[in-house]
Amino acid sequence: MSATAISSSGSLLSGKPLRAVAAIILIVNGLFPALWILLTSLKTEAELTLKPITWLPHAPTLQNYMQAFADQPLLIFLFNSFMVALLSTALTLLISFLAAYALARLNLRFRGLIMSLIIAVSTFPLVTLLVPLFETMRALGLLNTWIALILPYTVLSLPVCTLVLTSFFEGIPRDLENAAMIDGCTRFGALFRVVVPLSAPGVFTAGILAFVNSWDEFLLALSFNSNPALRTLPVGIQLYQGEFAFPWPVISAALVVGIVPVAILIVIFQERVVSGLTAGGLKG
Amino acid sequence: MRTGHVAMTSRLEPAAERVETRRAMLSRLLDPDETTLGALLLAPAAVLLGGVIVYPVCKLLYTSFLDLSLTSGLPARFAGLANFQQMLEDPVFWQATSNTILITLITVPGALVVGLGLALLANLPFNIRWPVRLSLLIPWALPLSFAGLIFAWFFHSEYGVVNDVLNRVGLSGAIWFNSPRLAFAAICLTVIWKASSFMAMIILAGLQTIPRSLYEAADVDGAGRVRQFFEITLPLLKPTIVVALIFRTITALQTFDIPYMMTGGGPGTSTVTLAMYIHQNTVSFLDLDYGSALAVVMFILSMCVTAVYLRMISGREGAR
Repeated sequence: MSATAISSSGSLLSGKPLRAVAAIILIVNGLFPALWILLTSLKTEAELTLKPITWLPHAPTLQNYMQAFADQPLLIFLFNSFMVALLSTALTLLISFLAAYALARLNLRFRGLIMSLIIAVSTFPLVTLLVPLFETMRALGLLNTWIALILPYTVLSLPVCTLVLTSFFEGIPRDLENAAMIDGCTRFGALFRVVVPLSAPGVFTAGILAFVNSWDEFLLALSFNSNPALRTLPVGIQLYQGEFAFPWPVISAALVVGIVPVAILIVIFQERVVSGLTAGGLKG
Repeated sequence: MRTGHVAMTSRLEPAAERVETRRAMLSRLLDPDETTLGALLLAPAAVLLGGVIVYPVCKLLYTSFLDLSLTSGLPARFAGLANFQQMLEDPVFWQATSNTILITLITVPGALVVGLGLALLANLPFNIRWPVRLSLLIPWALPLSFAGLIFAWFFHSEYGVVNDVLNRVGLSGAIWFNSPRLAFAAICLTVIWKASSFMAMIILAGLQTIPRSLYEAADVDGAGRVRQFFEITLPLLKPTIVVALIFRTITALQTFDIPYMMTGGGPGTSTVTLAMYIHQNTVSFLDLDYGSALAVVMFILSMCVTAVYLRMISGREGAR
């Protein structure tokens, strides 16, 4: 597994204490912010204004969670986020599956050019699309609809998913398809009977990346969907801030509600996500 | 697209093909030749990219030369370089641009150093790997806007955990968001935290491809660990790091969510980024022509970085 911390010489650097310290640094760095928000969400408003501040809640309460659902349509924000992410992921997967199959399997004359184009698109700054898309969506009356977000999110994830799927297809032996075609399958028959079932793990990996991309996006969601009924979660969370008040425990509760679904996804599919990110998803 | 066209004409050419029976045509449709199939499979992606990237970019360039006064109701007219001239005389534009470049110059190397450190730690031979993996994945999956909010709470002047820790170790806490410099520092720290774990994952994957035998050979030769790091690890990681840096640079140029959530650009306009200024002009002021001109600047900035990247990739492939 490891390459740098090798050496059986048993020096201090590869010893057990070092590993323990390393694990603590990594875990505190990665998880403390989320943990802190969780602790905050369990504190009462009164406890929050104690000085010096308390770290662990004295009297843990779920009041803030009830408040978070009562004050704003949190369930609707979640639903919007979920549906936009799901629909754009489905569209991305469909389109990138076809493109990746062509790039991995066919002898395309402009393959190099197409790959360069895909990489160029993956570095494309979404911010610059803000102005013309805002103008177009406004003209078409698509502001405050799911479509206004689904289309740009699909483009956002398309390059990454195409690269992940292309490298995945390249790992499926061509002989399997050739055998199916010799057995009388058409190319499409071979595609659906051989490639589709075998590529399920790759599609799944690409799907998680696309889903997280959409779930996290903020700028376009903020700009295109201002109607509270159509806000996605990152944008909806802003509504908790009053003009003068900033109810941190309630905001924290809403944040926890927003973090949990993706955290579950990540916990279950962690290895797959890592392999996807390193296969072609160089965007973060 | 062009490949499909070529295939189409060649199919129509020979007269004999006209007698092709319906059944043969159907089977051809179900089992097309490679070029036609390639064009068909790539068409949806091409249509989407055309509609959501190429057309909007053309429109962006066009709009940046117009004078659209949406509020006055006057028709749009061609304004030449007026928007760009306005930009040069706009102090907020210069502030936003210099903030954006400064954030890039600080957070890209910052995230690289922190990410490299995290990757080296994560590469130790742990018995159980999942806690380490999760502690790199969770920050990656956390929305940027959430990270902004969480860190705004961290840096809260009265109840924030940062000031609490500072007080506990005997330093005095600061009112982070009242001072342009401190607010900027808080933003940069947050961006570095958010970006470094992704950087670490990419570098970790690179580390794991370095053959162990290289280190064993170096051990035999008596090379110390530090020397091994600089002479084996870093050179072999270089391609991975360069690609990660380029993507990081392009993302840093677009910084929006974190400063928007943490400071809203304040105090004053001291932490406004170019992306925030584009958003403000477009969505809040509906000043689409000026917003377009600003976005053109952003487009040029990031295309320069992309061009460097593409040149590097083709250079590497050419060398093979």
